[in-house]
Amino acid sequence: MTESPMTQRAMIIDDSKAMRSILRRIVSGLSFETAEAAHGQEALDQMEAGFMPDLCLIDWNMPVMDGYTFITEVRKRPEWRNITLMMVTTESEQGQIVKALAAGAHEYVIKPFTPDAIVEKLELLGLVSKGVLA
Amino acid sequence: MTVTTQPSGPELADVHAIVEQVWSSFLGDEEPLLPRYADAAEEGTPAFPAEHVWSAAVSVHGGWTGTVTVELSSSVAQSLTRLMLAMEDEPLDDAEVADAVGELVNMIGGNIKSLMPGPSALTLPVVAAGRAAHSSELAEVARFDAMWNGEPVRISVHAPQS
Repeated sequence: MTESPMTQRAMIIDDSKAMRSILRRIVSGLSFETAEAAHGQEALDQMEAGFMPDLCLIDWNMPVMDGYTFITEVRKRPEWRNITLMMVTTESEQGQIVKALAAGAHEYVIKPFTPDAIVEKLELLGLVSKGVLA
Repeated sequence: MTVTTQPSGPELADVHAIVEQVWSSFLGDEEPLLPRYADAAEEGTPAFPAEHVWSAAVSVHGGWTGTVTVELSSSVAQSLTRLMLAMEDEPLDDAEVADAVGELVNMIGGNIKSLMPGPSALTLPVVAAGRAAHSSELAEVARFDAMWNGEPVRISVHAPQS
């Protein structure tokens, strides 16, 4: 019997339902199981409750807890060190990008993006195989 | 003494390019956004030919200060919401339309912010059913009018009057 590959999980964190929907369609198409949160604290709550993602797609500007604070909170937890963190945001100032990467983000995508741009970043991170959508 | 003045606003061509990039990334190229220029007979300001309108605004504070506003006919707002949510015939509620219009102005405003001197911060979007209202302390420094599916779209940038 062939063992089926383990499904990867993605947490989509954005205060816009429309943006979460767009990102969900992209990563679901790559066979990720998804969960959604409208801000960083909601994502932390879901992770504490047992949804452990392989990947988080994180907006910067959100109410309650912004994306930068979420990254710093995740990086305080050694047991979450394997989670890949990717910012997906309109925040495009060089200083902010450097700040997010220094805090522990692995990748940074500026909105607007195309689905291909997200897939390319996930390929670079080794989370999907090259040419998965070809 | 050093006196600094902030640039009044972005170039209209840059606003146009940003709007087209956001539009095509999320709404596709099947129905293009067609620029709509002022008719000479209208002496400058084209009217906004829609009765039912959604508007949304974000503000930038810091190296440059200003407000970016999107105004859409209700029909455009509903169409873009359906495209972003991948919904076809299901009924939309106002919260979904407000969310989609808010994300649109967030992307446009965030990219306009990147053209202007920083560092600066972007506020969360404010969305309303109806035309946008602006403080009397702000003056319009750029405006992009367009049509999509035969319906009006307006993006405007306001900055403090110098």
